[in-house]
Amino acid sequence: SQNFSAQNRNAILVSHRQKGNPLLKHIRNVKWVFADVVCDYLLGQNSCALYISLRYHLLHPDYLYYRIRELQKNFKLRVVLCHVDVVDVAKPLLEVTRTSLLHDCTLLCGWSLEECGRYLETIKVYEKKSADSIREQMDTDYLSRLTHALTTIRHVNKTDVITLGTTFGSLSGIMDSSMEDLARCPGIGEQKVKRLYDTFHKPFRRVS
Amino acid sequence: MLPFQEQIIAELLDEPGGGLVVLSSGLSLETLVSALLRLHSPSQGTLLILSASEFQKSSVLQCLRRSPDLQSTHGALSPVPAEIPGDLPSHHRSSRYTSGAAFFVSPRILIADLLTSRCPPSALAGLIIFNAHQLADTSTESFIVRVVRSANRNAYVRAFTDSPQAMVAGFAKAERTMRWLGVRRLHLWPRFQVQVSSDLEVSPPEVVDVRVPMTGAMRGIQGAILGAMDACLKELRLTNKVDVEDLTVENGLFKSFDEIVRRQLDPIWHTLGMKTKQLVADLRTLRKLADYLVRYDAVTYLKYLDTLRVSEGVRSVWIFADSSHKIFEFAKRRVYQVVREGLKLIGGAGIGIKRKRQKGDNREESAGGSPFSKIGNGERGIDIGVVLKEVLEQAPKWRVLRELLEEIEEERQKNVFSGDAKLENSNDNSGIILVACKDERSCMQLEEFIEKGSQKVTQEEWKKYLLDKVESLGLRKKNKKMSQAPEGFGVLNAETPVGRGENTGFNSISQLENDALLTAASEIINSAEVKAVSESTSDAHAETKRHGKGKVGKGKARRCVEAVLMSGGKNKINKIMDATKSKVEVKSTLHGECGVVDVGGLEESTDDGPSSETVAHKHNLLPDQTVCSVNKPLPPVQLYALESGQNILDSLKPSVIIVYHPDVRFVREIEVYKAENPSKELKIYFLFYEDSTEAQKFEASIRRENAAFESLIRQKSLMMIPVDRDGHSFGLSATKESQSLVSQNAITRKAGGRIASEKEMQVIVDMREFMSSLPNVLHLRGMRVIPLTLEVGDYILSPSICVERKSVMDLFQSFTSGRLYNQVETMVRYYEIPVLLIEFSQDKSFSFQSASDIGGDVSPTNIISKLSLLVLHFPRLRLVWSRSVHATAEIFASLKANQDEPDETKAARVGVPSHDGIIENDARAENYNTSAIEFLRRLPGVTDSNYRALMDGCRSLAELALLPTERLAKLMGGQKAARTLREFLDAKCPTML
Repeated sequence: SQNFSAQNRNAILVSHRQKGNPLLKHIRNVKWVFADVVCDYLLGQNSCALYISLRYHLLHPDYLYYRIRELQKNFKLRVVLCHVDVVDVAKPLLEVTRTSLLHDCTLLCGWSLEECGRYLETIKVYEKKSADSIREQMDTDYLSRLTHALTTIRHVNKTDVITLGTTFGSLSGIMDSSMEDLARCPGIGEQKVKRLYDTFHKPFRRVS
Repeated sequence: MLPFQEQIIAELLDEPGGGLVVLSSGLSLETLVSALLRLHSPSQGTLLILSASEFQKSSVLQCLRRSPDLQSTHGALSPVPAEIPGDLPSHHRSSRYTSGAAFFVSPRILIADLLTSRCPPSALAGLIIFNAHQLADTSTESFIVRVVRSANRNAYVRAFTDSPQAMVAGFAKAERTMRWLGVRRLHLWPRFQVQVSSDLEVSPPEVVDVRVPMTGAMRGIQGAILGAMDACLKELRLTNKVDVEDLTVENGLFKSFDEIVRRQLDPIWHTLGMKTKQLVADLRTLRKLADYLVRYDAVTYLKYLDTLRVSEGVRSVWIFADSSHKIFEFAKRRVYQVVREGLKLIGGAGIGIKRKRQKGDNREESAGGSPFSKIGNGERGIDIGVVLKEVLEQAPKWRVLRELLEEIEEERQKNVFSGDAKLENSNDNSGIILVACKDERSCMQLEEFIEKGSQKVTQEEWKKYLLDKVESLGLRKKNKKMSQAPEGFGVLNAETPVGRGENTGFNSISQLENDALLTAASEIINSAEVKAVSESTSDAHAETKRHGKGKVGKGKARRCVEAVLMSGGKNKINKIMDATKSKVEVKSTLHGECGVVDVGGLEESTDDGPSSETVAHKHNLLPDQTVCSVNKPLPPVQLYALESGQNILDSLKPSVIIVYHPDVRFVREIEVYKAENPSKELKIYFLFYEDSTEAQKFEASIRRENAAFESLIRQKSLMMIPVDRDGHSFGLSATKESQSLVSQNAITRKAGGRIASEKEMQVIVDMREFMSSLPNVLHLRGMRVIPLTLEVGDYILSPSICVERKSVMDLFQSFTSGRLYNQVETMVRYYEIPVLLIEFSQDKSFSFQSASDIGGDVSPTNIISKLSLLVLHFPRLRLVWSRSVHATAEIFASLKANQDEPDETKAARVGVPSHDGIIENDARAENYNTSAIEFLRRLPGVTDSNYRALMDGCRSLAELALLPTERLAKLMGGQKAARTLREFLDAKCPTML
């Protein structure tokens, strides 16, 4: 009913099929309730998960495909949560990978029930979280920006950035420096000098 | 060529399939290769030289240009190999591949050309592979060998390496390398091989070993560094993550130590705590410090330490260790000391040092006669004020070098007078004196030193140091209200105030010290004034020095000197005297004829302390010294940086070599050079710091090389020789297997009974991915690998499937850097089925973390959280989990089974905004200065939409640095962005020191 689902908006809805799955013990950070859902776990309005263990897959190779087909096109995020519980993973995992990929499912692997449970919890908890924590974080102070730029050149480290900054005074000074001046900086060896110099002085495009 | 070198060539030519040559470093690998090149004739086919470093290339060319001692068998000019650069238009490249000449080519380009049939394998005579120790089963070179051998059974592969140590790293490395190269013969040529040693010892050069004692402070620093290293190693052992056996301080001195540690830790790198990672980084830093101690002068060393403290300060473990405290302390003492005006020594000295050196403390107290408590001292200091005393310790090797040069010149003068006896000889002898040191920097400094004398050089460095200081301290004062931190941070205090009870006292002392530094700096600025002052006080000054005892003086400067002498300074001078004496002994045993010079040196060394004025005094007081250290004629000297790797012995033909920084490789080069020119007189001086890590390292590197060869010889005797040297059975079984598997899958998934096409599968692979092993394995599986430069994704399996490949470590890193988010974002934008491939490595566990590591709560830093977040934000992203490279290849085959083949031209255009003037072609990576572009894109104000215009507007970054704002605004399409960029470029870099 409407009331029921409103009450459980913050809970994971678990299909009755999952009764007895030891995985349920490990969903602790989020509330979960049994409900009549097509998927195994309803994680949000648009996201759901199917659970499969590789051992089960070996016994019933067609199971996953039929479950996916049942879902139809009702969800944006369709997770296949795969418990890797066999030693010789290559073949069953390949089949599961292939089935999920070709039928628009995102495959997540867990190597323990704890891990599988944590995926379910996390997806529920992070339902509305922004992606900031996995986006490029840029400190905006001068030194971090300088470091960010200069460390694109291979093997240039933070210490070198400070050395270069102190020696040449400004970034334009660094970019316009001669090979000899670069070589005078302590800690900057032959290779680094050449890399720095080439980066600054070789044209962007080698063929005009 | 020496007999043993001819022998190597003969043995190599004996085996048509080629072989792997391992020889001691410095035994002129390039000569061997150039000999092989001379023997090459175009009729045999094209000869390609792979993986040669720039230095190796240039020295091969040098060897060839020298008058050939082997007649080219075909009468033609000896072939000088050209380069096949990546930016050469493709038809030019293919004509070169078929020309029959010899070429240098990078493996990445060659494999791409082989795969795109620009390079027909049948046109090749063979391959010469440098640096064979860097090979791995899945490396591009072995890929190349396989492709070439499968189409051309007659091609030979001759591989060389001169780092035997690397050939014994890992299990049966030599044998496996031979298998990857498809060669059957292993040629071992250690320095101790009978023929090699007899060849090299026919007329050995005259060698003089000079052991230079280090100063007390240097020894102190070295001891402290080794102490800190030991502490780090112990700590590392405690983590139980590494095999202890190889982790010794001695190994820690070598670069290869990093490899030992990384090889053990890499598989579990993502599971390590911050602390363990930091320990590994710290060990690297400490090794550098030990190295720089003997290479840099005192002031530069201190400067480097200051820089280190700023950049590493917060994270490092070692910086807070007790022994590292000493490193800073001693390093500072080599440069300056801070002296209280009232006959008190504060200096080079936080409270910490006082506590540790009870003696010094006592003396200080008695000298000052003031029974203040320590904190009281500091507080008093504010009222009294302090004076900075320059110490400017000079590298002991400098003096020895000067003496050697003087001696050489003297001898030469004598010879000139003594007549023509040696005249013919001197015709032959260039008379060139070669000083070999480690890097360009030391070269420049030594040059200045020889020209201007040691005081001048250190003074110059000191001035620079102080000026930097003024800026940073001045700056800091301005920012004072902003942060309390700086005092314990960038400033030159040896103490970190955190967690110390003596905060107040300490801070005031460091404040005093800074003030003193500022004063000194301003004095330097008005250096003329300084000179005047020093001259007026020099009388008293010199007196103090001679007697070594304090009298109550009148002038300010004088009192300072006394203070130094009274408290610990005396000790130090004695030490220096001892040191010089012992050096005299060493030297006289060597030459027995350098009395006068050394006495001078000895006096000079007592002079070292207050050296700012020494130049001035000398004229007044110590005429004898002036003569020997200033006026004595020095012979012209050539300087050579070992790092530059050029082979200059043959072109310069020196008659005296001073090895300023000993290096095994260079020693061998000298031996070879001498053996090649037996008639030439050659005298060699080795300068070692006595009991230093430098000497230890030198000896250990010989030991390690010998041990490596012994192990290789043992391995060779037990080796299973690979039979499939023609490369035919290489990939065959694998190909069959994969085909059966693919077709099997095709049957299970055939849509509507469609018959799986027998056509060869194709995968488009990004050029950069050829660094990894997957393209190689895909090829092994029987797929056609099409190299292309891709803007989006790493592998294109079909028009709709695009794969971004991440090893587990890459995955963690690119989550942290945020790069993964961007990559996935673009993939999702351009492809129907964007795939993130997470590839585990075969030899480590197939999981991110054990169940116990997961923890009780959802934590944002956990990989599970990051992956979940990624998946939530990109519901269309497909994940593929692969056990190993080989499993990946299988998954790719299976995913492709009922898909169309990818389209090259489309794939190359994806993600590249169509832009007038840019023609996309397959050699993009080679045509662009990619690091410059990446650099450009990270500058503030530069965006995805304007960076191309900037690249069009100026040729290089150096040019960009000079563009005015108006021009930038025009290019960047906006005043605001242009101003942001211009301001960033010109911003005064805050001095951290």
